[in-house]
Amino acid sequence: MSYAIGGVVVYLVLGIVGFLVRPRWLCGALAIAAGGASLALWAPGFPEAVLGGTGWGVSVAGDPLALGMWALALVIHGTALLHERARPGAFHPLLTLLLGTCLATVLSRDLFNLYVTLELVSLLSFLLVGYEGKSRAVWASLQYLILATVGMTLYLLGVGLVYGKLGTLSLSSIAALGPGLSAPAVAIGAGLLVAGAAIKGGVFLFGLWLPPAHGYATTGVSVVLSAVVVKMGVVVLARLSEALPVGPILVALGILTGFGGLVYALWERDLKVFLAFHTVSQLGYLLIGFGLGGPAALGAVLYAVAHGLFKGLLFIAAGQAIETTGEREIAHLADRLAWPTAVGLAVGTWAIAGLPPLAGFTAKGALTAGLLLPMKAVLVALSVGTAASFAKVIPLLRPGPKREDSSGGVMILIVVLVGFGLWDFASRPELRQLGKWAEAAGGALGGYGLYLLLRRVRPRLPRITLDRATVVALVGAAALAAGLLFLG
Amino acid sequence: MDGMAASALAIALVGLGLWTLVRRRNVIWKLLGLNVAAGGAILFLVAVAHRPHAHPAIAELGPGPSADPLPHALVLTAIVIHFATLALSLVYVIFLTERRHSQDVHKLEEER
Repeated sequence: MSYAIGGVVVYLVLGIVGFLVRPRWLCGALAIAAGGASLALWAPGFPEAVLGGTGWGVSVAGDPLALGMWALALVIHGTALLHERARPGAFHPLLTLLLGTCLATVLSRDLFNLYVTLELVSLLSFLLVGYEGKSRAVWASLQYLILATVGMTLYLLGVGLVYGKLGTLSLSSIAALGPGLSAPAVAIGAGLLVAGAAIKGGVFLFGLWLPPAHGYATTGVSVVLSAVVVKMGVVVLARLSEALPVGPILVALGILTGFGGLVYALWERDLKVFLAFHTVSQLGYLLIGFGLGGPAALGAVLYAVAHGLFKGLLFIAAGQAIETTGEREIAHLADRLAWPTAVGLAVGTWAIAGLPPLAGFTAKGALTAGLLLPMKAVLVALSVGTAASFAKVIPLLRPGPKREDSSGGVMILIVVLVGFGLWDFASRPELRQLGKWAEAAGGALGGYGLYLLLRRVRPRLPRITLDRATVVALVGAAALAAGLLFLG
Repeated sequence: MDGMAASALAIALVGLGLWTLVRRRNVIWKLLGLNVAAGGAILFLVAVAHRPHAHPAIAELGPGPSADPLPHALVLTAIVIHFATLALSLVYVIFLTERRHSQDVHKLEEER
């Protein structure tokens, strides 16, 4: 345990020292090295322990989810660092602090400690999204902070209700009490906790702040937000489902966010906002996995890491494309990308479409193994939809004549993504069946067919505004609390 | 104040704050509403600490039961966090006011 806590402390201290030291990226690089050393020392995990030593303190534990998130956060931080290495000012210290806070979040097993780390994550990402000072990004960032604060206020009420009834904040003590939802305070409290974490995590209809914030941030920030930060809400939801009987709610939210994000992604024309809607959609896989628990939860851990890698790659390639051409619309970017960017985008698309042997395929295989047929059908439908929405990226994959310098961030992520996929593939003999490959290829082809069918359709989707997002989040929270009260 | 009365007041404050957040078009009003709601959530934690006939959670005031000290510790943290959040968001509002010459949500939402 002390190694992991030490790693977090060193990360945060280096983040603060980074404000004083030049070059600005140096402390970030040192923090990544320290985090890697700490991870190597505490892997493969440690049992739950109370930090503080007097019996009063914060519970922490290192489980597979924490392990995967640590590895992902370090790789993604390295990529973002490399891509944004020339950025002056407070950018790198803030980024280091943000990643350090994420490392702390995944270790925590305490309702209130999770609240504090989530708030810190919100504040730091809020600063980073608006960092460049473009008014569209600043507005997206303000929307993000307002909605995240709404979510955290609901979460705090939930903490109060659960603590008032059960008298503890430690998730494992709550799980040991085995609370049903029969007590109204626990039922409403659980509803508010889940709603708060869902708003913070960008789950569809709760956290509609996510697409503009992720879409309009700078490249490095988009990468970190979509690959790591967005998972923090999911981590909290997964922890909640370990302590309180909210698994079925997570599955329902997962289906909602899977298809909701997908519908918007299908018709979005801005490349980065399109990828952000996809993040919303892909949260569905994770929530379904964590909601079902057992082997599916392990599959969801794998998928969280895999998604972080390929979404990070897609965002960094998209960011490079937008930085060099000055165009954001997908249709205007065709045939204009330099080859490293196009290759990055192609590998990312291949992985997110779930084609073998990359990480998208293996993690989806781990997630769907042993699921019942209806659930499997939902996941297959999501895959087909994902492939369909990515079909419009295909014209971008033909490299154009213009050459550019690659930042190296793309290359790191390609190597890690392919390596992770091949390692996972080698360790899962059940994936070597022809049927699985045919299934994956069929899904991708079906998706392309769906794209051709839908190409002429242009529905008018409701525009997402701050007021609408707030109202649907609040109504959703009330519905969740009322639903759990009714179920209990 | 009685525990139930404090809880009721806290929930009323949350409702009032969220109502302001949704109904007002001016960003500063929205942030104020949000802060009232957050204050309500904090007051709710104080209400949770209530025990009948207890003295405040200060060591020298014993003997007899004291209020639950843990929620009080949480409240301190939550107040600091909300202060930081409000301060930072107001900085961004100043920025937007200078750039876009408006604090009206509908104007700020127009594509630029």
